[in-house]
Amino acid sequence: MNKELNQYLSQLLDDELDHQVALDLLQKIQTNPDLKNTLTRYTAINHALKTDDFLPLPADFSEKIARQIDQEVTYFLPQKKPARPHYKRVALAASVAVVAVLAARGINNPQIFPMQSPAPQQLAKQTPVQPNEQLTVGTTPQDPASLNARISDYLDAHNNGVYTGEVDVDFRPLTKVTSYNQK
Amino acid sequence: MNALKGIFVGLLVSAGNTLAAAPPQTPTAKHALAIMLKSMQDLNYQGTVVFLKNGKLEPMQYTHVSAQGREQERLISLNAPLREIIRDTGNVSCFFKTTQQRSAEHRPFEHSFLIDAPDNPDDLDANYTLTLLGEETIALQPTYIIAIQPKDQLRYARKIWLEKQHFLPLKATVYDHAGKTVEQLVFTELTIKSTLPFTDTQSVKNVTKPTDAVSSAEASFTIQKLPSGFHELFFTRRPLHNSAQPVDHLLLGDGLTLVSVYMEQATNAQASIDSPKAVQSIGAINFFSRTVGGFEFTVMGEVPSETIKLIAENIKLRE
Repeated sequence: MNKELNQYLSQLLDDELDHQVALDLLQKIQTNPDLKNTLTRYTAINHALKTDDFLPLPADFSEKIARQIDQEVTYFLPQKKPARPHYKRVALAASVAVVAVLAARGINNPQIFPMQSPAPQQLAKQTPVQPNEQLTVGTTPQDPASLNARISDYLDAHNNGVYTGEVDVDFRPLTKVTSYNQK
Repeated sequence: MNALKGIFVGLLVSAGNTLAAAPPQTPTAKHALAIMLKSMQDLNYQGTVVFLKNGKLEPMQYTHVSAQGREQERLISLNAPLREIIRDTGNVSCFFKTTQQRSAEHRPFEHSFLIDAPDNPDDLDANYTLTLLGEETIALQPTYIIAIQPKDQLRYARKIWLEKQHFLPLKATVYDHAGKTVEQLVFTELTIKSTLPFTDTQSVKNVTKPTDAVSSAEASFTIQKLPSGFHELFFTRRPLHNSAQPVDHLLLGDGLTLVSVYMEQATNAQASIDSPKAVQSIGAINFFSRTVGGFEFTVMGEVPSETIKLIAENIKLRE
């Protein structure tokens, strides 16, 4: 029996296992610590053989995520059908495990897991907005060329700043509304 | 500020110059500021200074020359666009190396690219509280920290770090009401010399019309109520844009900061179409435009938006 399950685990990692059999296997994994350890070991071996990188996944990786989700606030919104906790949990655990396996397999394969290494632009977008920038509220100022030229001339005449600051910079991106005063 | 750390930090201060007044062991903030102003005027010094404005760092080579009552300041940019700015007896000229463009302007109301402060620090008493905060090492030199805290919400707080030997400013920061740095300058190295040569500015021809001050009584507007401490410094009427249309420019100041009020015909400025209807900011500078009687007024300065609005709301056309 164990040999057959181990074979299934190997096929699961190679993405060769039938979908229904895979779900049954994942359900067994949830209740069988030995099987879970074997899956973790196979995953590590499989990954080490196929790639230069090693991504160790703790045995309780999926459980931790499932527990975290369980601890989230429940919203008592109207539901058409009452959820069945048993199947829900199994489906959730299976999904998490599949994601974990795919993550391990696809760590160096952009085609399988293209989001594993976000581009710098994506990282920039994910950078949280600084608290001070949140003060920038209100309508975006209009910036027609005539207005910019006029304000630019005013800045030149105003003080030293035109010499000691960045020169020839289009100030429009720096312009921001700090407060609204129009009645 | 990592870029600042990347810049080589080494401060060499010679001890031979006797022009600066001997500082007391523990000066008061006001005394320290007075010595700073005298040292800034009298000493010959040069170094590398980094300006932080609009979130951008601008490193420049700074030189101050003083001899026989004449002062000259020179800034040379270290990054593109390469340019040299010289202040000499109230005239400021700027030369762009790449384009060979040159401009010159008369700015008698400013005295330094670094810090402008009233000759008598007592003039700040009405609106600022000066405090000696403590000591800190800047550019490997021990400094005194002078805090200049406004007594109202109409101006920004500042700190100045003065090296202990001659009280020259090594660092200065302007903070907004949230305590965020809006402008800063930091010397990364500074050397005091017994003498330094003046740069020849005779060849610099004014390419802009001389900015001659005229009486503010000639202005077509008045400001009925100025914020505490602000007074008129300078008034000019001259073309500012690519047209002959004159623009009235009234410069106000409270000793540390400047506010400009511009007036021009609204039709030329297309004020009714594109004027911003809110206080806007570019770095530490806030500005606000409003139309009064067919004229477009713009108030601009390194002060909080409340101050800008207060001044703008008190503009009245002369009868």
